[in-house]
Amino acid sequence: MTSLPSSNAANSSPSESRVSSLVTVLSQIGAWLEALGDRANPILVKETRQALKSRQFTGTFFIVLVACWIASFAVVAISGPSVYYGAEGSTMLIVYSAILAFPLMLIVPYSAYRSLAAEQEDNTYDLLSITTLTTGQIIAGKLGSAVVQMLVYLSAVSPCIAFTYLLRGVDALTILMVLVYFFLASLGLSLLALMAGTAAKVRYTQVILSVLLVLGLAWFFFASIFLVGGFIQESYSFLRETWFWVGNLAFLTVYVTTFALIHAAASAQIAFSSENRSTPIRRIMFVQQACFVGWVAGALSAEDTLKDLGGAIFASAFFLGLYWYAMGALLTSEWPYLSRRVQRSLPQSKMGRMFLTWFNPGPGTGYVFCVANLSMIAITGLILIGFFSSVMTTNPSVDQLLYFLLIGWSYTVIFLGVGRLLISLARRFVYVSMTAGFLLHVILLLVACGLPQILAFMSSPNGSVQYGLLHMTNPIWTLYLLVNNGSTAIEAATLSFILIPAALIVLLLNMRSVSAEMQYQRSLLPTRVAEEEAELHPEPEAKASNPWEEEEKASEQ
Amino acid sequence: MSNANGFHPGERRPLIELRRLFRYFGETRAVEDMSFKVYAGEVFGYIGPNGAGKTTSMRILATLDEPTAGDAFVDGFSVIDDPDRVRRRLGFMPDYFGTYQNVNVREYLDFFARAYGMRGSERRRAVGSVMEFTMLNKLAEKPIDGLSKGMKQRLCLGRTMIHDPAVLILDEPAAGLDPRARIELREMIAQLAQQGKAVLISSHILTELAEICDKVGIIETGQLLAVGTVDEISAKSQAKSQVRLRTLDDSRPLRAWLSQQNDITNLTAEAELMTFNHDGGQKEQALLLRKIVEAGFEVVEFASKTKSLEDVFLHVTEGRIQ
Repeated sequence: MTSLPSSNAANSSPSESRVSSLVTVLSQIGAWLEALGDRANPILVKETRQALKSRQFTGTFFIVLVACWIASFAVVAISGPSVYYGAEGSTMLIVYSAILAFPLMLIVPYSAYRSLAAEQEDNTYDLLSITTLTTGQIIAGKLGSAVVQMLVYLSAVSPCIAFTYLLRGVDALTILMVLVYFFLASLGLSLLALMAGTAAKVRYTQVILSVLLVLGLAWFFFASIFLVGGFIQESYSFLRETWFWVGNLAFLTVYVTTFALIHAAASAQIAFSSENRSTPIRRIMFVQQACFVGWVAGALSAEDTLKDLGGAIFASAFFLGLYWYAMGALLTSEWPYLSRRVQRSLPQSKMGRMFLTWFNPGPGTGYVFCVANLSMIAITGLILIGFFSSVMTTNPSVDQLLYFLLIGWSYTVIFLGVGRLLISLARRFVYVSMTAGFLLHVILLLVACGLPQILAFMSSPNGSVQYGLLHMTNPIWTLYLLVNNGSTAIEAATLSFILIPAALIVLLLNMRSVSAEMQYQRSLLPTRVAEEEAELHPEPEAKASNPWEEEEKASEQ
Repeated sequence: MSNANGFHPGERRPLIELRRLFRYFGETRAVEDMSFKVYAGEVFGYIGPNGAGKTTSMRILATLDEPTAGDAFVDGFSVIDDPDRVRRRLGFMPDYFGTYQNVNVREYLDFFARAYGMRGSERRRAVGSVMEFTMLNKLAEKPIDGLSKGMKQRLCLGRTMIHDPAVLILDEPAAGLDPRARIELREMIAQLAQQGKAVLISSHILTELAEICDKVGIIETGQLLAVGTVDEISAKSQAKSQVRLRTLDDSRPLRAWLSQQNDITNLTAEAELMTFNHDGGQKEQALLLRKIVEAGFEVVEFASKTKSLEDVFLHVTEGRIQ
């Protein structure tokens, strides 16, 4: 009896054994795919199933496919016999890019927005939010679903794109870059659309956001066609240039950090309010600034001279000043109380409290976080000017740069600080949301710019308004004149003498609430949570450190 | 000495606890100082008129809303501080369906099983057992859009229990169901309680709640007016029970005798039949009957109408709206 299986095996033909080994391999692949599917984001799985059954998806897919066929036939028909010896590849690639831009720039991002907005409309978001999925997973799932759709559309167009290579006139690298740009653009737009979806909680917001989104996506659709068309036509000249690849790498850094920032912001929008929604965002802001400084430093070090240092300092100060003002307007609008949940994870050590407290949620810490980052940039700029002023070009001049750093820093500190104080005052009487807080900052800036203008206009007999100290509350005009007309145009020395102490006073006025936020200490885990943690993650049993303990343990067992 | 969660050592931990819960929407006080506990294996009925604050307090328990003050706990975890831990233990069935397009019954349950972190055979087992429990096996491949209301309700109950939660919160689960579906739903809830789950259920159909609930909470204008079993609440509320009494012949002497008793009101008579409201419970009524017989009256019928949940509800609430 025992010899039966072996005799069977011996009798089996080679084709049968090949079939059985193929079955084994296929079942193994099936098991791997199932394991992969198990680990896939649930929203991705669900939405892929839904998309494959939806009319919108299949409809768009066929439209894209038919458009590609028609375009192919049309170009071949128009070209006639020249298709055999001409170089129509680049023209065809532009046509296919325009077709591909339609689903990737319009349909996929808008579907991502609708997918999240529909969850709110159909009351399924509540059901989703009470599962164990994190908000980050929800956003990632929706984004993953957008990626799957992109890949399907790309696969529909891929034979046609391969055809362009055969038609000559375009190289494989250009085709690859076009596809990468489209993919990144569509992914970025989908994330922005999801961010809009998280904000669309009530009907009228949904309508406004839908309209804005469609307009924005339509603009991106046309812009992408022009940009990609230009790239395809000119790619031959700059694909071999080093600066092109360095530029792309710099762009990728900005893209990745901004992507992470928007992803964190979108997740924070839909997170439970006791969650720490601010610290991850602040970490990304910090990294983003570090990347920016790193690229500027890298660009300067690649040059033989430091003559462009002035321009680099000016550009960095201008960009980061705007960045921290915008981010500060949001951070200083945060709610000033820390939830008990957040208090459980506050830094404990002295060093931790000294350096990481500014990453804790709260308007006071947010204000200091922005001011500290900006100060770091301003001080670095001042030190660089001090060391290398002799080798820098005269445009912008050294005194222009110095005043730009000092006055720009003062304005940011004053506007953010006064805005934070106003929000704090308003919160004594009414509820001020983060959006309302941000708007309060914008209104403050508009009033500071517009009011002196109106006063000067009313007191001027001929209606013409000249810059004077009255306009020092207008940062836009002041800094514009400083950059274009020099430091004398705005009496920069006098202005600095007023604005720097004013900034320090505003900073001091804010310190009271900052110190209140710093008083928070790490709180203990509630007993029930500690119990569960001990159950889920029991401490490993201490190993015997000497033979006597080993004997003792053995006897206990 | 109680611990940080407010329990004495050895004290049984409730699976649901509301501790001085408040929820205001501007001037509207949706929930006002509400506290109660529900233990494992108990079915707690939540009764109140529309706008009383039932759904608001249920949404707070389900971590979909936050209280203005106070806290709520599920298996000892705060809904404010540990919503993630609460969600693992809780299944919430809202008073709306929340279904997806282009998804069939199995895919719908499979999605939620995945969303609760279930994998492989564990997930398939959970989906299978939930479909069996809710009797949706035959409809596994049917699109959700094509399901009847009763079937959708079953599906939603299935979704609520897909991760085998210890606590179930069901907001108006029987609304719009036909009588057979209601009976089946009632049986399912009773089975879940037998499995040791704590069930918090709200319904407008009081008779239905009375049959399955171990305890009820009567809520009006955000305030919990009474908590306990129906008998406890009726005893506490001192609702008068209606007594029907019939004598052998002329009832006038007995009527005169009864009108002198302090605990009797609203006495009406029609020939030999008399009805009146009595303040006491069953013991006091037995005593009254003995007194009547001892006084020489010939009684042929003495019936006290048992107070239903509806009577208790009407007595406790005042029909206020905000």
